[in-house]
Amino acid sequence: MADTLHPDKLQSDPVLRDGTHLSDLIDMDMREVKMRVLSDPDLYEIEMKKIFARCWLLVGHESEIPNKGDFIQRDMGSDSVIVAKDAKGDIHVSLNVCPHRGMRITTLESGNASSHVCIYHGWAFKPNGDFIGSPIASECMHGTMRSKEELGLRKARVAIWGGLIFATFDQDGPSFEEFMGDAKWYFDTLFDRTDSGMELLGPPQRFNIRANWKTACEQSAADGFHTLTLHRWLAEVGPYAKKPDAEGKGGDLSPEMYGCEVWTDHGHALRCIELDRKIARLTGKDPDTLTVEEKLTALPPPGITREMVPELLRRFSKEQLEIMAWRPPQVGGFFPNGLFEFIYLPQPDGTIVGAMALHVYVPKGPDKLEFTNYIFAERDTPPELKAKMLRLSIQMLGTSGLVEQDDSDTWPHQTLAAKGAVSKDITLKYQACYDNKGPENWPGPGHVGEGFTKDDTQWAWWRYYHELMTAPD
Amino acid sequence: MNQAMLAELKLLEPTPVPPVDSTQRLPVGSDIYNEIVMHLYDEAELLDDLRFSEWLETLAEDLEYNVPLRHTRPSRETDKSVIRTVQHMHDDYPSMRLRLMRLTDTNSAWGEDPPSRCRRLVSNIRAYITSNSNEYRVDSYMLLTRSRFDSDAFDLIPCKRHDVLRRENGKWKLARREVILDQAVLGTPNLGIFL
Ligand code: FES
Ligand SMILES: [Fe+2]
Repeated sequence: MADTLHPDKLQSDPVLRDGTHLSDLIDMDMREVKMRVLSDPDLYEIEMKKIFARCWLLVGHESEIPNKGDFIQRDMGSDSVIVAKDAKGDIHVSLNVCPHRGMRITTLESGNASSHVCIYHGWAFKPNGDFIGSPIASECMHGTMRSKEELGLRKARVAIWGGLIFATFDQDGPSFEEFMGDAKWYFDTLFDRTDSGMELLGPPQRFNIRANWKTACEQSAADGFHTLTLHRWLAEVGPYAKKPDAEGKGGDLSPEMYGCEVWTDHGHALRCIELDRKIARLTGKDPDTLTVEEKLTALPPPGITREMVPELLRRFSKEQLEIMAWRPPQVGGFFPNGLFEFIYLPQPDGTIVGAMALHVYVPKGPDKLEFTNYIFAERDTPPELKAKMLRLSIQMLGTSGLVEQDDSDTWPHQTLAAKGAVSKDITLKYQACYDNKGPENWPGPGHVGEGFTKDDTQWAWWRYYHELMTAPD
Repeated sequence: MNQAMLAELKLLEPTPVPPVDSTQRLPVGSDIYNEIVMHLYDEAELLDDLRFSEWLETLAEDLEYNVPLRHTRPSRETDKSVIRTVQHMHDDYPSMRLRLMRLTDTNSAWGEDPPSRCRRLVSNIRAYITSNSNEYRVDSYMLLTRSRFDSDAFDLIPCKRHDVLRRENGKWKLARREVILDQAVLGTPNLGIFL
């Protein structure tokens, strides 16, 4: 089915400074995107409004602000926000901009305050953003022209899910559940697995990359192919190099490319990679002869121990458990700027240790992004295992990650290339398409493809990007 | 924090670097001090010149190597400005060996291939005798400049290093290093290089 633009949309199709329409740059039939889209400054301004001021964005985790008055400072697109817990224990997200003269309310990354007092002229705000008062109110400091209600910090809508804190400045947009859509069913099996819930093992790693946010984010939408080349070292000396032949010859990463991929209409993407070979090695048995419980016990998900498996059995539906034991989501993205990794890392001693990480790629201008890396475990993960997961996450992912240092070195090149007079018309291609709609017995929702990794997930990312960018204001 | 939380924190964080005993300072110009300075200068050269196998030989097998996060906190909470749970690097000898093998034994360490041109400027070296007769606590400042590809912009990584250097059969080995960075948000695309 060809994608045609509804006349309403055509009107809101962004026009760039030389008269080019965004829709001229994205070919919906050919599944191609002109490179100009990657770092055009006009588009960047529009993205901040149409995507980052509208979508639900990840701003942190409950475990970062356990006590009343605790707060953290985070970014939602180009805007800084305060994420704070009030005296009742509710979490609020407010713009970190003083309504008086625009000073930042907090300059700290985190702290505790029962009220936030602006250091410039002293206006004070509650953790929920409400205006308390100005220090010299008797001298009419905040005037009489605006009510106190009008002088509070701008508030975002907040959704807490599995302890993750999401927020949006779009007051009338879709609910969090609608936004997550079919992806939520899968994400529940990652972020909401135990009664005690997940916890962050510390504040996020933060580092800047001279690259446009989309270079990182279109890849997050489950680019499987790049693993085979950009991350080839993994098979040469890395964790997958010495795996037994039964799991695919040492040095060959392609067995890791099989499974199912899931994408949604809102650009969320999941690579559900098959565990059968690992389970066969660990148990010496044909996985088809094992029950879901036996499989989960042989190879519990990252952060989960054998002892915790009964909890999973109690909390999840038969269909979700089947996915968790067979083809669990291991890497993928949540639109617009998040990536998750729930990966199973083979260890030299034959065991498998999991890593759980979320990345947020914060746009910092057309040519810069901040890589923010959150490292998790379950609260109930035994401390020794937590410590192992933490070290492995740090060694494989994020700032010094043996895997991800190659990614962060690639994106700046794409960003620079997108500026060439000739190069900017070269297209990014997403033409590796599934020829199937997934296995007949696939128990989960969403669009599904089965087999070797393909481009459909990433193309879904661009489709939703296009949809939001051309949506009426 | 309760006992269980403290015990867990101890597991998540690296072993603390032994404290400085200022009464045990080695005078500048003394024999051991000079040896230590020479070692640090040579180490910087090994790394700048990409002589990774030789650098590996200078690492002790019980090495702990960590690069904490820095956090922007108020003056009265400066102790909280160094985060040692989640860090930028948290390594031991086997993981450092893997990092080095990636660089020396594969043709696909793309994050450092072609390699960055780095210059490690080491200064302000202070050395202290510790309770282990062959180990010295050594503090130094370092400014690392990193240039990649055809960009004229340098990534700068200024830091302070807290080391334990061990003298073994006339050779110096790095037994412990903690790198205190000056940036809360690092201005380099990765730490595919060593500090
Ligand atoms: S800018 Fe905040 S009180 Fe004036
Ligand atoms: Fe990657």
